[in-house]
Amino acid sequence: MDLIYAFLEQIGASSSYLARWDVALALFVGSVGGVLIGAIPGVGPAVAIAILLPATFSMDPIVGLTVLLGIYGSSMYGGSIPAILINTPGTAVNALTTYDGYPMTTRGEARRALSLAYSSSFFGGVFSVICLIFFAPVLAKIAPMFGSREIFLAALLGLILVVTAHHKHTLIAAAMACFGIWLNTIGLHTASFSKRYTYDQSWLSGGVNLIVVVLGLFALSQAFTLLQGDDEKVRLTKIKGSFFQGFRELARHPRIAGVSASLGVLMGMIPGVGEFTAQFMSYTYAQKSSKRPEDFGHGSSEGLIAAETANNAVPGAAMIPLLALGIPGEALTAMMLSVFYVHNVIPGPQLFQNDMDFVVALYLALLVLNVLVVMFLLIATNQLIKVVKIPNRFLGVCILILSFVGVYSLRNSFTDCILAAAFGIFGFVMKRLQLPVVPIVLGMVLGGIMEVKLRSAMARVKTPLDFIDRPIAAILFVMIVLVLILHFRRVWLDHSKRKANEWSTSHASTSFPAILSRRRNFILTERGKKVRGKRKTFSRRSTDKR
Amino acid sequence: MSDEISEHPDRPLRGQILFAALFLICALVLLAGIEEQTKWLRKKALFSQPRFWPAVGVGGMVLFTALHFWQLPKKPRTLPRWMREADWFQWAESLFWAFAALSLSLWLGPLRAAPYVGLIATVRLAWLFTHWVDRREFKIWLSVFEWAGWFLAYVALVPILGYLPMTLLFAPMLTWRIGYRDRLMLWISVGFALFVVLVFKSFLQVKIPGAAIYEYLPSALRSFFILNF
Repeated sequence: MDLIYAFLEQIGASSSYLARWDVALALFVGSVGGVLIGAIPGVGPAVAIAILLPATFSMDPIVGLTVLLGIYGSSMYGGSIPAILINTPGTAVNALTTYDGYPMTTRGEARRALSLAYSSSFFGGVFSVICLIFFAPVLAKIAPMFGSREIFLAALLGLILVVTAHHKHTLIAAAMACFGIWLNTIGLHTASFSKRYTYDQSWLSGGVNLIVVVLGLFALSQAFTLLQGDDEKVRLTKIKGSFFQGFRELARHPRIAGVSASLGVLMGMIPGVGEFTAQFMSYTYAQKSSKRPEDFGHGSSEGLIAAETANNAVPGAAMIPLLALGIPGEALTAMMLSVFYVHNVIPGPQLFQNDMDFVVALYLALLVLNVLVVMFLLIATNQLIKVVKIPNRFLGVCILILSFVGVYSLRNSFTDCILAAAFGIFGFVMKRLQLPVVPIVLGMVLGGIMEVKLRSAMARVKTPLDFIDRPIAAILFVMIVLVLILHFRRVWLDHSKRKANEWSTSHASTSFPAILSRRRNFILTERGKKVRGKRKTFSRRSTDKR
Repeated sequence: MSDEISEHPDRPLRGQILFAALFLICALVLLAGIEEQTKWLRKKALFSQPRFWPAVGVGGMVLFTALHFWQLPKKPRTLPRWMREADWFQWAESLFWAFAALSLSLWLGPLRAAPYVGLIATVRLAWLFTHWVDRREFKIWLSVFEWAGWFLAYVALVPILGYLPMTLLFAPMLTWRIGYRDRLMLWISVGFALFVVLVFKSFLQVKIPGAAIYEYLPSALRSFFILNF
């Protein structure tokens, strides 16, 4: 009874943060803006958050974070609209929604698919927030157990997970994470007052600003990609009727919704894992446990529920490592971390101990946000789907104009803009080659955390084993070792599989052009040398002119 | 990317080799300068050294990019006929690289010469394994400089002409450049420009300084324009 009373008291205290006109406005702008941004394929929450970041620096921390959290949390709702209607995911995490959403549209069930996506997303979002509110006291007890070495190990684990999550691009992802670590070291090293990689340039002494890099890699590169590409012709389906039927249908699948939301919360809590893993795990679970697994990928309502519930349960959970330890698990939370630092609110164990009201207020904001978004979507979907028709190249112009606000308002520096443009070109190249850019941002953020924490942790460590003599440090170390073992095992299995496939398909008939090519090369090189050698001996005689 | 995979299953993916080589060259240049650009302090623990984390970053960049470069599917380019047929050329080329590596090692010492030797090897390999698809891809990368130029020109002119006038000029000009020539799109771009300036500068008051041109306005209007546009 005391626990419930304390809980209600906590909610009451935190509500005072939200009962302000500017927070209410931020909630509205964040939710509607996020849905709109999510619904436009080619923009995405990363671009929007990167552009808005400097604008939020002048706001109160709760207001600025609510706007960004709103965009983060609601963009996935909006992203499901083009995924279902035109088979193009609005945000990257809605890719799985197209598997079952679009086939439903093709058989004339667009309204059912959309309403199911909204209700599943709503359930996932609310479930994660409720979990977090109940977890908060536990987190407040665990968080102080994290000292320097635990935070270092958690950051290292996050970085390793981010790298290993990029299956088939692990090596280049690791190189990019190291690039981020190096970028973070540029400038004055405050502990020794020595310059690092400044090449005696005054503009480099202050270091490379994270926001400049983020704006270049996410916003400008996206603008360049859109400007360079072509417009796509979009044919929309008209939708009539209400969207409430999805809630009734969702209620018929409580097991899938519950498991998917739980997986979303779990995966969201682990830094570096995020939406994709949560989605694929819950989708696989739903398919394996379904009575009709053959329907998956062909318009299965269970598949749609699994995908949408899991991805919307992640944003709330992703705030856990950020708030409790100050460790962002992905690019969006890494951007949000800079808002905390600008306002001198340092996320970590102290935040949970000293400012619990602020933390719970953020969770409550996320809860209200989900309600606002679903209400907005139930009313305005028919009008909202028209944003899908905005031409891609014109969107590029819009992003370029908005990026200026983001970069230039930061320090009014032309050098920052040149740097952002350079990172924009770099990001564009990476996008064209389908290489990951997120490890760069996380390398920058986590590299900075790791540098500071390792220095302070090593002051009390005499032997290497001292580093993991505390229970949480030992658990984190075991997790790192496990992740690495599992990764190398997967790499080895993939390699064996590839080799087996190569051997099983190497028929003479299928590699006929290759045989011809090798034959030609042989004739031109090895055999050619012999022939020319013979001719040389003969020609010597024949050159004697009489 | 998929077009090259389907058309040439045994060909390296377009631009991948070139990107890996360029990134590796940059990483090796950074590694070569680590001694000059960072300090090693006496009587300080390894983890507190100012050089430690840059070394982790640059070392990781070199190691992982080299491994990535190594595992990329590669196919040697078709050399000109005279190169393929002339044994002396292949001998001379191999000897030249070996001589360059050896003399560098003797001059700088093996450890300091390693990045330069790596650099030479990367340039050689990049030349050997890049194809016409990579060169075509590289041209596409270069074409983006035009959009970056538009952006930087916009940034450079805002402090002179002002945020509102420059945005009202820039949006329709770029819209025209990318091919939307009808009036409706141009007016939409003007409307969007106005909306952005009003929201960010007039309402949210983000830090964008007043323009030099505003100095010529009458004093009553000047401060209003500097504050809001």
